[in-house]
Amino acid sequence: MNVLKMEVLESDFGPDVAIWRIEGELDASSIKAINQHFNKILEGSRFHAIAEMSKVTHISSAAVGELMGCRQMLAERGGDLVFVGLNLDLKTKLNHLGAIKIFKFHNDLRTAINQYAWETHLKPEKVWLSFPSELNLVPPVRQLVSQIARQKGYGERDSFRIETIVDEVCNNAVEHGIPDKLRDIELFLKIDRKKIEIEVVNLSDPKKLNSLKAISKSILGTNEKKLERGRGLSLIKMLSNDLAIDFSGKGTTVHVTKLRED
Amino acid sequence: MESQIELEYEDIKGWTSAKMVRFIGDLDATNVETVLERICTLFKDGFINIVADFSKLRYVNSTGLGILLHFSKSAKEKGGSFKIANVNENVYEIIEIIGATSLLEIYDDVNEAVAALK
Amino acid sequence: MKNTTPLTFKVKFPSNADYIPPIRKFVSEVLLVEHFNSKFSFRSEVIVDEICYNAVSYGSHSMDATVDLICSVFSDRVEFQINDEGGTHEHMDRLKKVIEKEDDAELDVKQSRSDKGLGLEIVKMLSAKVNLKIKKDNVTSIQVIKHREDA
Repeated sequence: MNVLKMEVLESDFGPDVAIWRIEGELDASSIKAINQHFNKILEGSRFHAIAEMSKVTHISSAAVGELMGCRQMLAERGGDLVFVGLNLDLKTKLNHLGAIKIFKFHNDLRTAINQYAWETHLKPEKVWLSFPSELNLVPPVRQLVSQIARQKGYGERDSFRIETIVDEVCNNAVEHGIPDKLRDIELFLKIDRKKIEIEVVNLSDPKKLNSLKAISKSILGTNEKKLERGRGLSLIKMLSNDLAIDFSGKGTTVHVTKLRED
Repeated sequence: MESQIELEYEDIKGWTSAKMVRFIGDLDATNVETVLERICTLFKDGFINIVADFSKLRYVNSTGLGILLHFSKSAKEKGGSFKIANVNENVYEIIEIIGATSLLEIYDDVNEAVAALK
Repeated sequence: MKNTTPLTFKVKFPSNADYIPPIRKFVSEVLLVEHFNSKFSFRSEVIVDEICYNAVSYGSHSMDATVDLICSVFSDRVEFQINDEGGTHEHMDRLKKVIEKEDDAELDVKQSRSDKGLGLEIVKMLSAKVNLKIKKDNVTSIQVIKHREDA
């Protein structure tokens, strides 16, 4: 028999998230301990709790019911109780008890905390990619960014528009960049629940720089109708919420912001 | 968030305790929870014999394989079975590498798998 | 091995499993574009998936941990290098054991729980070479070499 142990700790993230470490067997005799520790969580205005359960060996329906009650109380405050680290057999058991539809599960504490930060605090996540300046590599790059957006919960329509933006920006970077396959293009991505920022940097071909500057000036200004070139940039401007192009230094930096719409 | 997987269900004629489940997409660490929930619901509803059609399952990794082994074990414990059919070459190779071909019931097609139900 | 200058891709991403499916598909697509066949690209996708998942699951657990993936595509092979911020001593020991073990004939597959981690064993079977380096500051680097199979 595994003795029940519990403790409530503060998370690295901040005072509004409590870590509730639980070890051993959870059954009807654990109800008192569950309530005692849950009361500690409710003290100090905490409304989000992460139950770390990688060392839980058994959960009875009575214990699950009590934890559901705890979750309900946090939900009424706009928060949640999520489970971390439960083994497969216990998850299967929770599924049979219907609990799997009520609780969220994460593999580890960091994932749980980052998910909370993403949803509640709009914490952005960043990706950096460096790739050779070749046109045939643009499709995999645009699909990568689009799939990242989908993976992070953006809808199909938004993801498609993001894919188009990345395609146009990267195509420009390859076509107008320095014709040297050893010079890489850099793509920076910053994504949160409400918006995505894409920045593409390439070394510019000095022979093309002046015409590039003229086209981008036109597009970022008001004279789009008479434009014969630069349809890609026009498209980016239409699909995004902000477009900025910087020619300072040796490179061209295109920065695009797109708000999430779906 | 998960990479995309869909499950489609079909009844199996003559079997009230069996269900055909078509897996569509990729099975990996990001979506095993969803798949676990859905298959466990089938077990709970009395469908202890599952025939998994993998004709549209493009990809599986070690985590995905782990969950398939878990389903196989769970079904047997309930007196049923978890049979897999139409595995593509690439996915089969991964199952083979991991040594799970003897632990999973794998059939060339769904008809064979259904015929093997007891 | 031919040592022509490779095409190199680098990705730095948060230590979060959400990013792994898009990244493994990216690598797979890139290899198809660079004229590796679909079987090679699938196997490479599995390798990238497993090494990334290992880095995310067992590498540093700090809130802002990141993982670096570097892919170098040569005409006759592809080399992957993955760096994470390093995990616990227990994890490092386990990594060393798996990578240095010579006899891969028997995988402990009867441990059917998905959290037991057969990923690196699969990587070893799909590749020519797997090396582990633990750098200063605990940065863990796994390098995998996979030779072109239809050359």
